[in-house]
Amino acid sequence: METQNARLAGLIMTAAGVATILFVHWMVVFWVPTEAVQGIVQRIFYVHVPAAWTTFLAFGMVALASAAYLWLEDERADSAAVAAAEGGLIFGAIMLTSGPLWGRIAWGTYWTWEPRLTLTLLLWFTYLGYFLIRGSVADPRKGKRFAAVVAIVGSLNIPLIHVSVTWFRSLHPQPVVIKPEGPTLHPDMLVTLLTSLAGFTMLFLGLFFLRYSIELLSRRPRSGEVQRASEVLT
Amino acid sequence: MTSLRWVAVVAHKDLRIEFRAGGRVVAMIALAVLACFLFAFALDRSQVSARHVAASLTWLTVLFAATAGAGRAFDTEEEDGAFRHLLLTPIPRHAIFLGKTAANLVLIWMVTLLTFIALTAFLGLRDPGSLTHHGAVFLPGTIGLAATGTFFGLVSRHSSLGDTILPALTFPLLVPVIFFGATASARVFMERPWPEISGSVRLLWAFALGFTAVGCVLFRYVAEE
Repeated sequence: METQNARLAGLIMTAAGVATILFVHWMVVFWVPTEAVQGIVQRIFYVHVPAAWTTFLAFGMVALASAAYLWLEDERADSAAVAAAEGGLIFGAIMLTSGPLWGRIAWGTYWTWEPRLTLTLLLWFTYLGYFLIRGSVADPRKGKRFAAVVAIVGSLNIPLIHVSVTWFRSLHPQPVVIKPEGPTLHPDMLVTLLTSLAGFTMLFLGLFFLRYSIELLSRRPRSGEVQRASEVLT
Repeated sequence: MTSLRWVAVVAHKDLRIEFRAGGRVVAMIALAVLACFLFAFALDRSQVSARHVAASLTWLTVLFAATAGAGRAFDTEEEDGAFRHLLLTPIPRHAIFLGKTAANLVLIWMVTLLTFIALTAFLGLRDPGSLTHHGAVFLPGTIGLAATGTFFGLVSRHSSLGDTILPALTFPLLVPVIFFGATASARVFMERPWPEISGSVRLLWAFALGFTAVGCVLFRYVAEE
């Protein structure tokens, strides 16, 4: 039942997420005003920022689910962690690809070793390590435990990434939405950004629930195994 | 027994085994000194000033040697099942972690000292800056290296990828150590005043203490049998 509910929630949210993102593309091309300084290239912002937000949401979920797994040893928590980690890597790849494309025009270079970029790349590599350690330990229980520990250690980077633009000298733009004095974006840009954030979040959660349901199914004992186990017991 | 006493017992045991057998520390030192030797040949000193690159080379050499050593930190005990027996003793898990980190730290200090001497000699640096300042930079940096290496050394020990996975797990986390360590050491080599160095040292201490605390909390999850 839990698997079916997760799959249904996944399908609905994925469909809603895809529809919203298609609508956002229409807004980005035909509706939102062009930014005065950077021009048309600034529109990457409506993909890059939501991808970054979704990545941090995903990796935060991995850390919470991993902590729950270490504490409760509940397989569902580990399934949720794996599902979120895969989503985080995918949306992280979108963020790390769209950022340099924007940076090439805005900063004149695809990549610069400024704090936020560097820490984000390291976060992505840490979660790549999550899958490496998980898949390379012969005892699956130990593999899950080690991966959970890597996820928790890696997540300590997330708040540092958030504050890095204010703590260190950085080329990255200062926050324009989450500020003590309120958002400083043009209202139409803010609406487009928030719609895109909603679309990316729904798409991620949809993919997360679908992956979670597959992970739960893969951990169920197969009918042959149940039969053999009952034969052994009787 | 207090935790501190347990830490000393575990560290003493590890160091005694290490100095009796000697394999790991000799390999670490050989790696470090030979790397310095190769750096001296690889650098075109008509183009690059030795003083400008000495800090980076020292930190990278120490990082590689420390990683190589950390990968073998649990080998002797794992091979004959002694680590399982260590876990059965009443020693708290965090004391085992701190004891092993302390033992690793001693080895890393030896490697750091020899790397420093070898690099200054091979690169012909007559005046490498204040030795006290170098010590103040290397102390928190090497604690961070030892804690991270010890923690993930046990994790990598169970992986079929062996030592290959250890850099993949530790290097992303150790970037702050290398960045702030190399920045601070470069300023010491350039004989800059302490206020220009102290900011990086504070961040090195924050990383070292932070990761040691995290390691103490999480070690029981990687050291379960």
